[in-house]
Amino acid sequence: MTATLRNVAVVGFAQLPVVARDEHRMATEMLYPVVREALAQVGVERDAIDYQVSASTDYMDGRPFGFVAALDVMGSWPPRQDLHLEMDGAFAAYYAWLKIQTGEVDTALVATHGKVSEGEPDRVFNLALEPYYHGAIGLDPTSTSALQASAFMARTGATDADLARVASRSRAAGTRNPDAQLREAASAESLQRTPFKVRPLRDGYLPPIGETATCLVLAAEGKAETLCDRPAWIHGTHHISELQTIGARDLTRSASARLAAEKALAMAGLASAREVDLVELLATNPVEELILLDALGLEARSGGGSGPAINPSGGPLCAHPIMSTGSIRLGEAFRQLAGRAGERQVAKAARAIAHGAQGHCLQQNVVFVLGSERRWS
Amino acid sequence: MSRPVAVVGVGQTKHGARRSDHSIPGLVREAVDRALLDAGLEHADIDAVVVGKAPDMLEGIAQPEQFLVGALGGHMKPVLRVHTAGSVGASTAITAAVHVQSGLYDRVLTVAFEKQSEGNAMWALSPSMPFTPPLVAGAGGFFAPYCRAYIRKTAAPMHIGPMIAANARENAGRNEYAHLTEPMTVEDVMNSPMLWDPIRYLETCPSSDGAVALVIANETQARKGPRKPAWIKGAASYAEAMWVPGRDQVSPRAGKVCARHVYDKAGIRNPWTDIQTAEIYVPFSWFEAMWLENLGFCAEGEGWKAVDRGDQKFGRHLPVNPSGGVLCTNPIGASGMLRLGEAALQVMGRAGAHQVENVRHALGHAYGGGAQYFAMWVVGAEP
Amino acid sequence: MQEPPAEPVKYIDTNVRLPYHYVAGDYRARQLRAFKDRKILGSRCAKTGKVFIPPVPNSPESFAPCTEFVEVPDRGVVTTFCIVNIPVIGRSLELPYVAASVALDGADISIFALILECKPEDVHMGTRVEAVWKPDGERQGNHEDILHFRPTGEPDAPLESFINRL
Repeated sequence: MTATLRNVAVVGFAQLPVVARDEHRMATEMLYPVVREALAQVGVERDAIDYQVSASTDYMDGRPFGFVAALDVMGSWPPRQDLHLEMDGAFAAYYAWLKIQTGEVDTALVATHGKVSEGEPDRVFNLALEPYYHGAIGLDPTSTSALQASAFMARTGATDADLARVASRSRAAGTRNPDAQLREAASAESLQRTPFKVRPLRDGYLPPIGETATCLVLAAEGKAETLCDRPAWIHGTHHISELQTIGARDLTRSASARLAAEKALAMAGLASAREVDLVELLATNPVEELILLDALGLEARSGGGSGPAINPSGGPLCAHPIMSTGSIRLGEAFRQLAGRAGERQVAKAARAIAHGAQGHCLQQNVVFVLGSERRWS
Repeated sequence: MSRPVAVVGVGQTKHGARRSDHSIPGLVREAVDRALLDAGLEHADIDAVVVGKAPDMLEGIAQPEQFLVGALGGHMKPVLRVHTAGSVGASTAITAAVHVQSGLYDRVLTVAFEKQSEGNAMWALSPSMPFTPPLVAGAGGFFAPYCRAYIRKTAAPMHIGPMIAANARENAGRNEYAHLTEPMTVEDVMNSPMLWDPIRYLETCPSSDGAVALVIANETQARKGPRKPAWIKGAASYAEAMWVPGRDQVSPRAGKVCARHVYDKAGIRNPWTDIQTAEIYVPFSWFEAMWLENLGFCAEGEGWKAVDRGDQKFGRHLPVNPSGGVLCTNPIGASGMLRLGEAALQVMGRAGAHQVENVRHALGHAYGGGAQYFAMWVVGAEP
Repeated sequence: MQEPPAEPVKYIDTNVRLPYHYVAGDYRARQLRAFKDRKILGSRCAKTGKVFIPPVPNSPESFAPCTEFVEVPDRGVVTTFCIVNIPVIGRSLELPYVAASVALDGADISIFALILECKPEDVHMGTRVEAVWKPDGERQGNHEDILHFRPTGEPDAPLESFINRL
């Protein structure tokens, strides 16, 4: 794929700070201030945006058609060109990018919502497994992740202490992110003392239950520059899904993340992910982070050292508002390239990778490669 | 469309109350296999899969596209899942078309399904919602009041709804895949029990198991054949907020805006003369009259008159729902894609016994939510 | 250890049971609490002044915030309705019953409501109705405080007055 595509950038991103439970607002009510803020960031009224995509999942919302209520808070009057995906926001952002590539629209907003605290995600996502066997025996996302973690540790020799170190680095990064839910550092030793939720995954290696709403604004060249002083241009992007069947996959590697990254990097004209300054990965436990780094051709950093910064936001371990987590990865990459990452700013960040995922054991992966300069001239 | 995009294959299942001969993967495979055969393609030729279905509660499986990736041929490919309520099948097909229109994908498989027999459809559509006392069971309870408002505004006679229902059943008799095909008279319908006055039992869509798949491709692929393709001349999906004061729920603005957008793209100036057949989403009889107006086929207040004259019957001026439509077949997630797929079949000359003559342009349409989501396309015999 | 089935397994039954603990949100919660005092609250759009029942944080029409709470009378007009003959899950209502869209006086959108204390055939588009509350002392400040609506006996409202508030 060497075709010349439209230069499209992320030009705005807003989120509520991730909290364990927002007692004051329903799911879609959380979205309203965030859409307003995103529009304020780019300095336009809702009418100026051509397209809207929302992302959420009914089952987590506990309401069939729960996403319909989002229309009322996204400015859907007069009628808007619209789509809703039952997927994490990063996939909705991919589709918005794709829609802009058709040339029919130039700007899009991508909104996510979901009050994770209202339900029990482990039970909800048990229902995502094929119902005849895997679902029926009671596997849930933590236990499928644990199967993956066991397999990974057996193949690579990674230890509990290694996992603790990865988690501890995320927690340290989270202290510099005012939007994260967990903002206190935690030493590797202290995390290693937390009880196992499902061996080998300890409570300290798993994300908290939390919720938010987010809104990204994407714009094509010609519009992007009027909306943002430092747009984060999308240089390459792709997504890949693999079989769900736990026993039919090499759980110790993510073939779909690898392929998605290869295609995204090729589109971006980069030889390797090492050429970026930071990566934001949707890794919901330390093993997923190690698997994803391997899929991207990056080494796990053993404290300091060269290579891109990994999850400078603190990543999903510090905040995992399911369905919004992928949008936040993309939003964080934008903040970094736009110089709006505050205390967690990676110095002179000019290129970033944002990754989103959903499904058991990294079943579906989307990768964005972004940069401060336009990709195609 | 700037880059020509076409439907090159269509496959659907025999729709029925309970397809107990297949599991969900088996049901979608029946449609997928047929669509690929129709297109003369293999899974290896497909660049991406776009899946659509209505609320996951209908089968009790969350995000079922995840466990279906293998059955859909989606392993190691991009797979997206769309959900726009009742219009989902249509917006899914349109999403697939966008993939090809972008220039990044050459051949995309799109699938929509529902296997309602495996869950409790009534519960899935109207479970107890928090902070609100339950009021009506089923979508009909929500829409019947707006059918009443249409009847009042237009002074339409009460036999119109039953005429639409009887005609749909007659059409379904010509569709080998339809669920309900037994003929019924207008009198049969008027004698059937009233469910949500003014909607009677025989004017209401069934609950069906079914799936449909389309292969959408670029110009190069479309011209290769083996089938005559259905060129997608214009397609769009729109949505509007629910609680807008004064919102017209009888002829929603989003429907009009969406139709205008699609007609403009397709070069349709007068739908009544420029379109030869329309597959429109009619889950309760009266919507056929209402949508004829909303879609610009008839002037406001005149939709029921077209029905009364029989203008929308098979063999007449503008056959509507020659497949029998949603009134005869309603696997909810699939219904929107069935409309768009049936429109494609008409243009491709492959609608068998329900083929309308000399179709140059056909409309496929679906709606969902509180009549808030509208997704439609016009397909043509020429690019 | 059970014996394996004699025939291939064709169906498996799974009951789905998912607990949800919902947040009403401040706006809705305030409306529900006010039911205890026989008040119906809505919120007013800061830009257009239009009133929404139940109260919402923003107007879906103008996209402006709704910051002011206003009380509306507990009476209004049936804009349209249907007569239901199918039992609804979660409630035992005698069939047939009227499910209506009711535009309360002073509200710019309608609510859905149950109409009782009359014969279904006596309800029309335009019938004036009033709320029937649980008696004083029994109201909890929740959605069950309004039992239903009933016709007031006033003359029907003219079509023009409500046809745009369906």
